[in-house]
Amino acid sequence: MTQEMAAGRTRAKLSVSDMITVGVFSALYFCICGVAMLIVNLCFGLPGTILLPAVTALLAGPVFMLLAARVRRFGAITVMGVVLGFVLFLAGHFATSLVTAIVFPLLADCIAQVGRHRNRIALMASYAVFSFGCAGPIVPMWMMRGAYVASLQRKGKDTATIDAIMANVNGTSLVVVIVATIACALVGGWLGLRMNRRHFAKAGVA
Amino acid sequence: MLASRGPLYLDPRTKLAMVVSSNLLMFLHAPASIEAVAAVLFAVPLLAGPRRGTGVRMLGLYFGLVAVQFAVAPLVGALPWLHLLGATAAALCMMLPCMIAGLSAVLTTRPGDFVCAMRRMHVPTVVVVPIVVLMRFFPTIRHDWRQIRHAQRLRGGTRNPLDALDRTLVPLLMNAVTVAQDLTVAALTKGLGADGPVTSLAQLRLRLRDAVAMALCAVPVVLALFL
Amino acid sequence: MPTASLTDVTFAYDGRPPALTDVTATFAPGECVMVTGRSGCGKTTVTRLLNGLAPEHFAGRLDGEARVGGLVAGQSSVQDYNGTVGSVFQNPKTQYFHANSTDELSFPCENAGLPSGEIHGRVRRAIMRFGIPHLLDRNVMELSGGQQQQLAVAAATVLDPGVLVLDEPTGNLDADAMVRLHDMLAELKRDGVTIVIAEHRLAWCADLVDRYVLVEDGRIAGSWDACEFAALPAERRREWGLRALDVTSAREATARLVERGLPGGEGTPVLATHDLVVGYGRRGLLRRRVGGFAKAVPDLQLFAGQMVGLMGRNGAGKSTLVRTLCGLQPACEGRIELDGRPASRRALTRGAALVMQDVHYQLFADSVRGELMAEVRDGDDGDEARAKCDGLLRDLDLLDLADRHPMSLSGGQQQRLAIATALMAGKRFVVLDEPTSGLDHAHMMQVGRLLRRLADRSVAVLVVTHDDELVAQWCDGVVAL
Repeated sequence: MTQEMAAGRTRAKLSVSDMITVGVFSALYFCICGVAMLIVNLCFGLPGTILLPAVTALLAGPVFMLLAARVRRFGAITVMGVVLGFVLFLAGHFATSLVTAIVFPLLADCIAQVGRHRNRIALMASYAVFSFGCAGPIVPMWMMRGAYVASLQRKGKDTATIDAIMANVNGTSLVVVIVATIACALVGGWLGLRMNRRHFAKAGVA
Repeated sequence: MLASRGPLYLDPRTKLAMVVSSNLLMFLHAPASIEAVAAVLFAVPLLAGPRRGTGVRMLGLYFGLVAVQFAVAPLVGALPWLHLLGATAAALCMMLPCMIAGLSAVLTTRPGDFVCAMRRMHVPTVVVVPIVVLMRFFPTIRHDWRQIRHAQRLRGGTRNPLDALDRTLVPLLMNAVTVAQDLTVAALTKGLGADGPVTSLAQLRLRLRDAVAMALCAVPVVLALFL
Repeated sequence: MPTASLTDVTFAYDGRPPALTDVTATFAPGECVMVTGRSGCGKTTVTRLLNGLAPEHFAGRLDGEARVGGLVAGQSSVQDYNGTVGSVFQNPKTQYFHANSTDELSFPCENAGLPSGEIHGRVRRAIMRFGIPHLLDRNVMELSGGQQQQLAVAAATVLDPGVLVLDEPTGNLDADAMVRLHDMLAELKRDGVTIVIAEHRLAWCADLVDRYVLVEDGRIAGSWDACEFAALPAERRREWGLRALDVTSAREATARLVERGLPGGEGTPVLATHDLVVGYGRRGLLRRRVGGFAKAVPDLQLFAGQMVGLMGRNGAGKSTLVRTLCGLQPACEGRIELDGRPASRRALTRGAALVMQDVHYQLFADSVRGELMAEVRDGDDGDEARAKCDGLLRDLDLLDLADRHPMSLSGGQQQRLAIATALMAGKRFVVLDEPTSGLDHAHMMQVGRLLRRLADRSVAVLVVTHDDELVAQWCDGVVAL
């Protein structure tokens, strides 16, 4: 048990040990994000990208839950989001990645803090909110929809039918994204808590 | 002399500005011609440096997709499913300049310079340290994964997908915890977390070439705004 | 140059009995002292008190004073020690903070707030001093363990600290790497740096050490200067758990084993190779093989009941050979036979087991018993399997740990668990990768005995190792790559 873990639960700042833990877990989360991106693009092509947050949420539960268990201090989840936003931004995704990756993790951190990083319901809710952090890359999908419609119109296609189809796609796809992400986050979060209980708590690292 | 830098080496902050510019272009729905010019512009750092191959491949991909769009357009009436191909090509074309800019920034910047640039931009330590750790740990994940896969192949298989997930993630996460602990100990003895300013080996300066590069990157944005 | 000293130190980690009791030791400037003793005796705690990690990071209760110059453990923060005390740890793979070697060398200087020009100068001087320009501007992950450890020593001394503390630095190194480490320390000693090494391997730096301090159960059991220590009978040192001061006899014995070739055996060998070439190729365009690595392996025959050592320096192809023999990698040429029949890769993975150096890559169950029961195929009789499982646990001294989580076990226990799973699966061929790296004499003998018992269960055992003492005492034959 290090000083940080033993006495430091009351300290406000993230220690060196905490920062390094956040870095390591961010790397793992980003890895899982990448794997999820591969899966959705291979299965559903480019439109599949809207399922990126959902698939990531399904797989990354253990990473989030173990981080929350090891660094029980406000700021860890937020910093993980900021780091992810930075990395996604540099990987060429739209700047909205930076915004979503800061706003949602910050909210998630607040929710987790309410439950003192221990309450299981708070952690699940926190993870569900956090999972929208990687929704940044899919915002261009809606923007591209607009641009594609505009380019079609420039080419003189039938606007009425296009508008009708695209409008439908727009509304439903937003709902689909939100519902799928929350559902997958609940499953992934449950898996993460289960892994914490069965393995990491027993081994003494959570 | 400790690290050779070519004459065309740009400050990381310039490359960051390039990424921002690429984002603005996408935001403003820049027409294809400006987009193409921008793509080539953003690939210049790659082409000018040791990562020439990547630059060539990315530009090849971009112009290949443009060609696909042109090829598809007249046939769309007869074969409506080609809409999907065209749309995908168009979507990728929109995202590629951003990706090229990002790749340029990441692949041609030395990690030490990148950290220095972050500190100069007053990014708080609590964000810089995790980013450095991420850069150091990320490449090792692949190695760990391979070791775990090897170990799995020598053990009895399982048909339960939950078990399969356990078997892979548990060793991976345990290893991550151990590495984090060892890294902390080593970093503490090397002074990480000390009070006082943290300096860097790199001496970054915005030079004339940076100003020129930034101006060049602003041109497509300005054009997109007014055209 | 500061003097390092421990005065009447009693230190206990939180929630544990004292690791050190009434320890008083002084390390004079420029002295090279080896703090030695069996595993768990407290020598690592001594190093932690000298570099400030205890009691700040490794929390615990400290009575007495641990001082290095003006720095006192518990009063000065561990970051204050940067520049006065440099530290080198056992695992070269997890010691570096930056991915690039130049950044790693600048790291302590940057944390100390030195201006850029001075950092340049110091890094350059560190490179020149140790003659390691080939390690500059490299990806640390691609360096060998020995090179990583060299980098660690260079980084620890880039700020010219007066004291260098090393905690079991040679655990994972081969002979060549140990020589290079020795030379770096010789250089530092010439510059008057106080060197404190906590180790139970004595031979590699015997000519540098001025004084030996023996720690037993947290107390100082003796202190000798180099001549006195060398004059002690070898059995006494062995009793204390230390490795040989002079490994030449072990090396000679190993060389004789190599010369003799592999011992033959009766019946069909468990594993046999014919004209085997292992390696990996890089395929360029048009699938032509371009570059890569290929190594021709002498024909091997491994019989059940035998323990064979696999030795060779890093990069010689030991890991590639092991992966090929286990079916994890295809052979470039030649064939491998399992029990006399040509074996496909699948057959090899089914028949072979590998105990890795990092055992925790291969443990995934939530209990020791669960780990073994995971080897049970669907449809096997439940009671019989459980009886076999408990029998194995008893044989390997793991029965009272049956419900514990595998990751909570000690390294040695995890090793035994990995072997138990191999036996549970009925594997006939078991390979172990460096099972004794970093172990003291008693534990090395324990592993040797364990492997002998494994072999006696009609298993062909292959041990990849640098450890001459293990090979000389326990192996029936040696394959040298």
